Order: sequence, then C-alpha cells, then structure tokens
Amino acid sequence: MSSHAHAPGGFEEAETPEGISRRQWMAKATIAISGVIGLTLAIPIVGSLLPDVGAGGATWTPLDENTWKQLQSATDKAVRIDINLKSKDAYLPEQSSPQSVWGIKVKDPQKFMRDRSDLFTPAGKDMLPYPIVTLGFVLFSPICPHLGCYYNYDAANNKFACPCHGSQFDHYGARIAGPTARGLDPLPLREQSGTAQCEWIRYAPTIADRLVVSYTA
Amino acid sequence: MINWIERRTGFVSMTKNFLTEDVPGGASYWYVFGSATLFAMIVQIVTGIFLTFFYAPSAMTAWESTKAMYDHPFQHFVLSMHYWGASAMIALVFLHLLQVVIWGAYKSPREIQWIVGVLLLLVTMVLGLTGYLLPWDMDAYFASQVAINLTLNVPIIGGWIQQFVQDGTTMGTLTINRFFGLHVWLMPAVLVALVAAHLAIFRWNGAAGPPVEDPRPLRKGRFWPDQLFMDTVASLLVLIGIVALSAFWPPFLDMKADPTVAFTPYPAWYFLDLFGLLNLVPGNLEILGAIVIPGIATMLLLLLPWIDRSTTRVAGSRKFTMWLLGVSLAIIWGLTIWSQLSIMGKQAAAAASGPPAVTAKEQANLTKAGGSNAAPPSTSAGVSPAAKAGQAVYSQNCSSCHGAAGAGTPGNFPPLAGNPFVTGDPKQVILTVLNGKTGPIQVNGQNYNGMMPPWKSSLSTKDVANVITYIRSALGPNHAGAVTPADVAKLKK
Repeated sequence: MSSHAHAPGGFEEAETPEGISRRQWMAKATIAISGVIGLTLAIPIVGSLLPDVGAGGATWTPLDENTWKQLQSATDKAVRIDINLKSKDAYLPEQSSPQSVWGIKVKDPQKFMRDRSDLFTPAGKDMLPYPIVTLGFVLFSPICPHLGCYYNYDAANNKFACPCHGSQFDHYGARIAGPTARGLDPLPLREQSGTAQCEWIRYAPTIADRLVVSYTA
Repeated sequence: MINWIERRTGFVSMTKNFLTEDVPGGASYWYVFGSATLFAMIVQIVTGIFLTFFYAPSAMTAWESTKAMYDHPFQHFVLSMHYWGASAMIALVFLHLLQVVIWGAYKSPREIQWIVGVLLLLVTMVLGLTGYLLPWDMDAYFASQVAINLTLNVPIIGGWIQQFVQDGTTMGTLTINRFFGLHVWLMPAVLVALVAAHLAIFRWNGAAGPPVEDPRPLRKGRFWPDQLFMDTVASLLVLIGIVALSAFWPPFLDMKADPTVAFTPYPAWYFLDLFGLLNLVPGNLEILGAIVIPGIATMLLLLLPWIDRSTTRVAGSRKFTMWLLGVSLAIIWGLTIWSQLSIMGKQAAAAASGPPAVTAKEQANLTKAGGSNAAPPSTSAGVSPAAKAGQAVYSQNCSSCHGAAGAGTPGNFPPLAGNPFVTGDPKQVILTVLNGKTGPIQVNGQNYNGMMPPWKSSLSTKDVANVITYIRSALGPNHAGAVTPADVAKLKK
C-alpha cells in the first residue's frame, strides 16, 4: 500500500482555530445535507408504500329494487336479493358478475342477538367492522361458510341448507347442523339517497373466525 | 501489460492481496460451507435475473407468465434451478451456521460478523417467503395468506402491518407487486450488502481456524490455490445437486390462485418447524407460536456470543452451549419431522375419506390437462369454446363436490371423470343437472350417497349445456359428444 497515490497524512492545513472551526462546520454541514437528501428520498418512498385501504376494498353495490321491495314487505321469510357485483383489483380492469344475497327481516332483535352471539361477541379475530342489522334487516352472503358452496333456502321450514356437505342454518343464520364451523356470514347494508346498497365480502372458508379473503367474486 | 493496469487501477495487487489470505492450519474441506453458500446465492442471483425476463408481476399475468415458463423446456429448467437453489441456499446457510456454533467461531473478535451472519439467515428466509407467492398458484396464494395473516397476532398494530405487507385490505395484484419488489430488488440488495460486510469483516479478523486451545503452533495455509480449489469442488457439488434435483424433481405449478376455492396450503420445508409450532399452540395463544417463541429464538441466536461466555472455542469445554444447540436442533428437527408426518397423514386421510376441497393431485391433473378456470392455456387445443366456458361454470358450481378434476368425493359424490353415466345418454345427464339427484347410487363399483341440488333455477340453459359439454368431452379421460342449449331447453320443463 506504500505506493498508493492517496496515502493518508497529506493534509497541510494549519491547525489554526479558524481552520478547525471551518472543518467542523463543513463536517456538520455534510451530515446535514446528507440528512436532507435522505429525507427527500425517504418521505415520498415511505408515502408510496402506504396501502390505499380504500382501493381494492369493498365497494357498495345497489340492491335490485324489485327484490329489495319484496324483502320490505316480507314477514320472517328469507328473500333472495339480486346484485350486479362490480369489482376491481387495483389497476386491473373492472369485473362484473351477477350475484345474489339473502335478506331477512329481523323482527325480534333480542332473539337475533341471542341467536347470533357469534356476531356480536366474536371470540376470534373476526373482521366485522359494520353494523350487523341495518334498517331492521340483515343480509347474508350466499356462500356457505363451510367450504364455499352456494346454499339453498328451504322456505317450508324457514331454514338454509347447503347441498354440498349438509350444513344447516336457521333463518337468522345460526348453525343448526352439519360440518360448518360458524353461522352464516352477514354483509354490510346501508341506504344511500333512496337506494339500498350492500358490500360484498368473501370470508375465509372452514374456520370459525370471519377473516376477509376478498371483496371480489 | 499487467504493470500498466496495476499502475492505473491497483487491481493486480488487490487480487494478490485477496488470494494470499492466510488459512490457519491449512486448507480444509471443513471451510467450504461459507463459500458454498455464497455460490448458491450467486446461482440464485443469476437464475433470478433471467426469470425476470419472462415473469410479469400482476394478478392477471403472474400465473400465466409462470405457466408459459413451465411450457418452455429451458425456462422451466432455469425456474427449477431457482426453486432448488433456494432450498440449497437455506440448507447451506444452516450448515454454515451450525459449524460456526460448534467451532465457537463467533467468539471475540467475531461477534459482529456473527450478527451479520444471523441477519443473512433472516434475509434468506424472507427471500424464500416472498418468492413463494410469485407464481400465484393455489399453494402460493394460500400459504402466503397464512404467513401474512400471522402478522395479525402483533398487538394493536397487527391489522395495520397486515395491510402494509399485502398493500391493501385483501391479497391481490398489489400484493404481487409488493412481494416482487421485495424479492427481486430490496431483499437481494440487502443480501448483497450484508454479504459484502460479512466478507469484509471476515478479512479484517482473518479466518478463525480450527478450535484448538492454542492457535500458535498451527501451520500457515494458503487460500490460493489450496482452499479456493476445495471451495470450487464444493460449489461444483452444490451445482450438481441443484441440477439433478431440477432435472428429476422439478417443481410443479398448481392451478391459478382462486380465493373462492377452499384449499389447505403447506409451507416450504424450511418453514415446517414454524408451521409445527403454530399447530402445537392452542388457537387463543397463537401469538406465542407466531411472534413470541420465534422472536425469542432469534434473539438467542443474535446474542449467542454473549450467552456463551467461556473463553475457549473447544466444543468439549462449552457444555452449556452444546446442550443449548442439541436441544434447539432436537426441537427444530422434531417439529419439522412431526409436521411433515402430520401433513402426509392428513393427505392420506383426505385421499381415503374424500377431500372436501380440491386436492393438489387433482389440480396437477387439471394443470396437466391444460385446464384452469381463469385462462385455459394453449395446451387445451381441441377443447371447444363451449367446453371452455363450461369449465368455468364447473369450477364455480360443481368442483367443490365432484373435484376440480372430476374425481368426486368417496362415499358422497361420484366421480365424473371416467364415469360411464356422464359419457352415456346425454338426455339423462341433462336431467340430472337440471333436477338434481339424491340417494344411493353406484359408479364403477363404488357406492355413493349424497345430495345434488337442482340447477335449473340457478344456472342458465346455456351454462347447463356448456358445463355438460365440458364434463362429457374434456374432463379427465371423457371424450363424449357435446350438448347444445337447445337440447337442454327441450328438457327444461
């Protein structure tokens, strides 16, 4: 290393007080400028990484007016309400698919809360940040919480039954029989300028907790 | 010429300086683990760079571009090498670490080198985790979802971390972009920087040499060519291993990720210990298995130079550390083996009693047959558009009972692939789909007793025709004729 052109100890500057304070100032200024450069890069980068929780989340879908009216005049029977589900995964093109949800008039809120204690005092990591009963109704996802089949409504007995593996639910969606680990999954409902709207949520199948899997399809 | 370059760059003396490193006690095959790990990393970087030539990160292209790689012999081979290279790298990091622990090579003055090494192990595991998602097949999707949802165990900010990791409220195309950025740019950059630091500190301290009480009588060994030759031989063996595994056991691609299908994922082998730990702790104490115990283990590893205070490096005189190592290895290997056995047990049970969901084997058949509910690849040439449309109807409505590949569910729901009823009189098949079927039946000598709902009100006439065309003409070995919407309409009374 002795032949190195940039050998240390080459400083000729006199150790005058001005020289020392000048060098200390430059050292501090260099650190400060580096900090400014770092922050200038870091702030927009960190900002870019923050998730846009609104995008890719659930969107409100208007309920089909005729079927919604049916539900309003219904007694304690379930009504199948059609929706045209539009979903968008970030920048990908919007997708649209016809779906339907089940609506039930909650005539006895006390009984409903007793029946569905799993919704009001969930034991696990349930993701239900919305009122379960809105406008006096509850909406159920048409997907069986067991393994994701579409279950049927047995109007004669006023209960739901899944054809795939035989899970059964009462008209408030509480589990009666079968392999399902939880009752039917509710969906958010609201009224916006005279139109009833719902959010589509696909919850994880099989497990007892309601974990959001998708807001699309 | 050499002098000319040397005067302008200093490269020649730098190279000489690099090659004339002292190897205490002489070159040895015991020293190859570090360089073999480095070699595996280089294989990963080289193959990884070229995989980005063919991979397109987005929910609409990730699986499709990966599938295209699988369909190209050399691209598939490069991908397989990357797959097995990852396993090789993790295994070698682990062996390297094991040797350093046994030889006590983390002791003063090499504590920081040890910490950088532990960080390298963690970065390597993050690379394994982020790379696992990128093919966007069923296993990638659901295994990554389990991993991401583990962050929910972090108190208070767990939900926020989960959304940050997946870049949104659910896993989707932004999650792929994020994992791609992590796997391809950020983590490799961190890895290379840490490796540079690891090697620089290594040169500063010199090689630790064998663990003897008094290192002075050790003869001086040479790095070049003695040790470098042994390192090269080890690298060659690693490469032969990766190539052989890639040639004989290439990885396989499941069907495209579909969050609406129930699927049980299993982790890569190097996460089986954590997987087993999670299965051992009760559900309400998941935080123990997800955060607390792995966190404590990592801290123990980082602080090992200060936990092992003995002044000697000889293993026989470091009883406490050796006990700690033995117990840790027993736990890690015990959990790994237990998890592997329980997975195999579950898979066997699922095959015997009927899987509720799509099994990997069915998916493999489906993938081999060129099927996918999202984008039937080009290999399905000869399948009519009606059958393709029917396939989508099938995967949405029928596959949860009859299986993605039509294998059925033993005892309950009969197979459709290879079922003579399906390929027989089309009229009977149409009637069954329209009106459902309940009660005991026998197919190919097996008894089934399930309940099939009528589909006439929930599926359109065209969907019924398409799905029957699909199950008759393109499902498994079936090669019967198509049915038209008109045929269905006639019977839909």
